[in-house]
Amino acid sequence: MSYKIPMGPYHPALEEPYKLDMICEGETVIDAKLHIGFNFRGIEHLAETRNHIQVIALMERVCGICSNIHTLTLCRAMEGLTGLTPPPRAQYIRVIMAELERLHSHVLWAGIAAKLMGFKTMFMTCFEIREQVMDILAAISGNRVNYSMNRIGGVNRDITDPQSILKMVEALEGEMARTVIPIFTTSRTARSRCAGIGVLTKEQAVALGVVGPVARASGLPQDLRKDAPYAAYAEMEFDVPVQPDGDVRARLLVRALEIMESCKILRQALAKLPPGEIHTEGEKFAFITGTSTARVEAPRGEVMYSVSWKEGSRNPARVHVRTPTFVVMPAIRWMVQGARLADTPLIQASIDPCYSCTDR
Amino acid sequence: MIPLETIPEKLGISESFVEKGGVHWLALGAVNVRALAKAMNEVHARFITITAYQLPKDEGFRLEYHWDLNGRLLGFSFQLTGKSIESIFDLTEAADWIEREIHEEYGIDFPGREYEPLLLRQGETPGVNLRDVVAVSQEKI
Repeated sequence: MSYKIPMGPYHPALEEPYKLDMICEGETVIDAKLHIGFNFRGIEHLAETRNHIQVIALMERVCGICSNIHTLTLCRAMEGLTGLTPPPRAQYIRVIMAELERLHSHVLWAGIAAKLMGFKTMFMTCFEIREQVMDILAAISGNRVNYSMNRIGGVNRDITDPQSILKMVEALEGEMARTVIPIFTTSRTARSRCAGIGVLTKEQAVALGVVGPVARASGLPQDLRKDAPYAAYAEMEFDVPVQPDGDVRARLLVRALEIMESCKILRQALAKLPPGEIHTEGEKFAFITGTSTARVEAPRGEVMYSVSWKEGSRNPARVHVRTPTFVVMPAIRWMVQGARLADTPLIQASIDPCYSCTDR
Repeated sequence: MIPLETIPEKLGISESFVEKGGVHWLALGAVNVRALAKAMNEVHARFITITAYQLPKDEGFRLEYHWDLNGRLLGFSFQLTGKSIESIFDLTEAADWIEREIHEEYGIDFPGREYEPLLLRQGETPGVNLRDVVAVSQEKI
């Protein structure tokens, strides 16, 4: 006999609202249905009432974790309509901010995953390390969450002492390599809780068009930083970790390895930070009529903005945001099919979902 | 890497891709969206999203479909004569949520599929143009 178990919208694993109705037979999940929209805010329509400065502040609030990525993508799209090109130093600072944001997002996720695995000490360790990343972000931008770093044609704040930031990054990298990475990659407990569960096959990943670490953990080597480089990524040397198994452990490994790759990128960007302006100083600009599209690789995968403007207008005619979780979340249905009920919180958390981004 | 020229060949059109602002656009002429989706599946392009634009006055809607092909962003524009365009959900599962979202926000119909509520959890049956609803409610104020 099958029965339905509703999980959410007050979620046992993640402090954001969504609901998963699971059809179970005994302890095995047979099928599931997702429900989102509990926090639908209509931000895209609200954006049409904001000017080119206000809209950046608004879109920074689409997501509380990757706020910088949203303004970076939006500004890149708006730069396409104004003809402004950020100077080289700004492009490097954009890379540094994006990689710090990836670090803090991945370490936060690692902490939550550790807690769900029953590793409470590791949860505390991850959050302690994340605090150090937040300290660096605050040292650069003055803020811990909404950094207000991006503007059309560059960035708002300079990195005046890259050597001190470099020391902080090196200390962080050492601590991660010593504590977090070995446990996630070699621990028997992590392996037993994560291996072989919540599998998303490569074929399913292709059909669903999933992105980011979830795609890379299903054997798809896609990363916009390599495939369509933006900012200063073309000048960085790094690897894109890919795992073939498509299970929770593969997602864990991909993110753990990406943490180390982010540190590698940060060291290069800070060491090679070119001199010069951080934005197009004093250059007047105007929007042309048209639509511009930009994509970046956020911590959870590809973010895409399409911005439409009419020449002479104060506000955009349309701002459309395609966030990574919007395309990754439907995969949960396939991941939980055949899983034990007790594994489903960890499976759901393994995609690192962001409901704030999804609901917009 | 698959050359872009193979796509117009598959679709049976003589037009070529034109790169503008980082997007490779292809004018499709009379090719419909389902033929496009099949061609994209054949070249293993990754579906990204659909963006709906409400045009001024009574000009209707424009939908822009985007796929990724080995890092290249492909764009295809469809001008809607009415308020409907065929669904590609059965060909491209990744299009499910965005078709539902556009149906809820703009009232555009995607014949060939059923809808379940996605983002809107209260109020009228999904499938109305929210802009029109907001405009009417603001007039009342």
